[in-house]
Amino acid sequence: MTLLEFARGPGMQWALVIFLVGVVWRLVGSFLIARRRDLSKPKGTAYVKAGARSMIMRSIPPHELEKNIQFQHLTGYAWHLGFFATLLLFGPHVPFFQQFLGFGWPTLPNVVVLVIGGFTLAILIALVIRRIIHPVMRQISTLDDWIAVSLVIIPLVTGFLSYAHVGVFGARYETMLALHILSIEALLVWFPFSKLMHLFYTFPSRYKIGVSMERRGVKA
Amino acid sequence: MSAVANDIQKLREELRDRGATVRSPELAPAERVARVKEVFARRLDANMATYLETCLHCGMCAEVCHFYEATGEGKYTPIYKVEPLRRFYRRELAPMGWLRKLVMRDITPADLDEWQKLVYDACTQCGRCDMICPMGIHISPMIGVMREAIAEAGLQPAENKALAREVLEKGTLMGIGPADYRRVAAELAAQGIDVPLDKPKASVVMLMSAMDAMLFKSAIAATAKIMNRLGLDWTIRTNAGDAAMFDWTSGDERAKAAAIRKVVAETIAAGAKTLIVPECGHGFAALRWDGANVVGAELPFEVMAISEFVGREIEAGRLKVKPLPAGKSVTYHDPCKVGRWSGVFEEPRNALKAIGVEIREMESHAKTNYCCGGGGGVVLNERANKLRAGAFHIKMREADATGAGSVVTACGHCRMTFIAGAQHANWQKPIESLVELVAANLA
Repeated sequence: MTLLEFARGPGMQWALVIFLVGVVWRLVGSFLIARRRDLSKPKGTAYVKAGARSMIMRSIPPHELEKNIQFQHLTGYAWHLGFFATLLLFGPHVPFFQQFLGFGWPTLPNVVVLVIGGFTLAILIALVIRRIIHPVMRQISTLDDWIAVSLVIIPLVTGFLSYAHVGVFGARYETMLALHILSIEALLVWFPFSKLMHLFYTFPSRYKIGVSMERRGVKA
Repeated sequence: MSAVANDIQKLREELRDRGATVRSPELAPAERVARVKEVFARRLDANMATYLETCLHCGMCAEVCHFYEATGEGKYTPIYKVEPLRRFYRRELAPMGWLRKLVMRDITPADLDEWQKLVYDACTQCGRCDMICPMGIHISPMIGVMREAIAEAGLQPAENKALAREVLEKGTLMGIGPADYRRVAAELAAQGIDVPLDKPKASVVMLMSAMDAMLFKSAIAATAKIMNRLGLDWTIRTNAGDAAMFDWTSGDERAKAAAIRKVVAETIAAGAKTLIVPECGHGFAALRWDGANVVGAELPFEVMAISEFVGREIEAGRLKVKPLPAGKSVTYHDPCKVGRWSGVFEEPRNALKAIGVEIREMESHAKTNYCCGGGGGVVLNERANKLRAGAFHIKMREADATGAGSVVTACGHCRMTFIAGAQHANWQKPIESLVELVAANLA
């Protein structure tokens, strides 16, 4: 079995198993922690509306708060959009999803995705530099932050190299492609153990603060 | 104003000295950590679990925290202030904790020493960070858990120890108790202001605050004038204890529960339908949101802040006020525990509009308001003087930018911070009480 065959076969299968089992395990485990009944008289009781509002409005903070975080905010949106556009709208990626899902979808021209991918990579590198030099980011960063950002950057880098048929250390195209797929698998394996889980926690968390604040009569 | 600022500084020094004499049981470092973990295990719930799971370490919460803005030091990042709680959750409660224990170190006694400064000196639990987190993490209640845990380990600042000990052992606050409430009532009676004490039954129970009794008797007089003008069947129960509830900020849950139970028992004994908390943010938040949970049952009465009550009575047309001559402009400082913690934004503003003042809002107001810098007991914490002054400068800048003639607020704690901060910064802006402004303009 070649490295590419491993990456496309058992490697991907095991990565998906670890991803799915890990995600379910972590979500169920954290959601099963005891709830506390609040006996205070709520000020507002439109919980679903308030929760849904927070799920949306947390993306658009008031100006007086947002003015200090514009860089993080805009770069955050930009790289997430760029990453998912590269993942889902790049021509060579769609057949991969098609084999699991049974259907495909239209893609963007390769050159457009390459520009988006390059832009995404540049933002991620800028954010890594910021994490190194900014006093807040230096203070609060953990090993997970470094691993997670590396595991997001590596698939972009290996993707570019594979597409451009550039072999690092003389590696063949097939090896580079295998490394690209393996880097995605590493991301999937690390996902349930890391902050990448915010993909699943963000909206429950936003909903919860919306409900808590509704009890207090505050739109948040 | 400078006399009041001097009184506040004396109060700080007295509390610090009294706190230094409070004998806490000598705990071994490992015992301190164990106590902290016991509190964490008891207080962590499903909501906190979700919040602690979802943090991205983006650092945005720092950018809206006045203590970080004033110092530029990363350790003042709000979410970092709950790091021991996160560490405990991740290692000992969270799914995959067993795996994390292999790579994540445990809480150490040195951590407790470091974090007691972060949660007592550098956080007012104002909740501004709660408004920005893109993940929706509710940080300020977790600071409360941190304070409770640190207090349980006997590591809270001397001032907080002194306050909690006094509440538990003497039932007074800063030396103020039933005899002082009676003295203040007699003084006001001599001025022709009736303050009905200890009526066996009344439909409204009002609390008295030690801060007002010591520093702002004019606020008590104003409140009594309004209650009397409304013709309410009201009383102050001298055994109900104090409205100030600094014990809420001390982290000492036993002291907080003891104070809350007294108020609830006296209000029920009076058969009151409404409990009104004077201009005191912490007292209001403690009774409004923790009261029922402390006694373990829904409260058979409504808890209202005086600013909320006055605003509603004016809106309903029951409290008549006369407009001031045109030209007075004010900016309203929302006390965090009354505003962001309890949703009271409109009522005080409506009261101000009714008396004809022009409200010039600060850039950050209502739910995004900057704290005065002294909330959460920080105003009485001498160790935090420098940090508090830095935070106050931000507030001052925003208030100055409005061009308003004065700052109005509805919390004695904020008022103390403003007065002390203004003296420190040689700031000339007058600080006014909402209830006093309304009482001075009753029709």
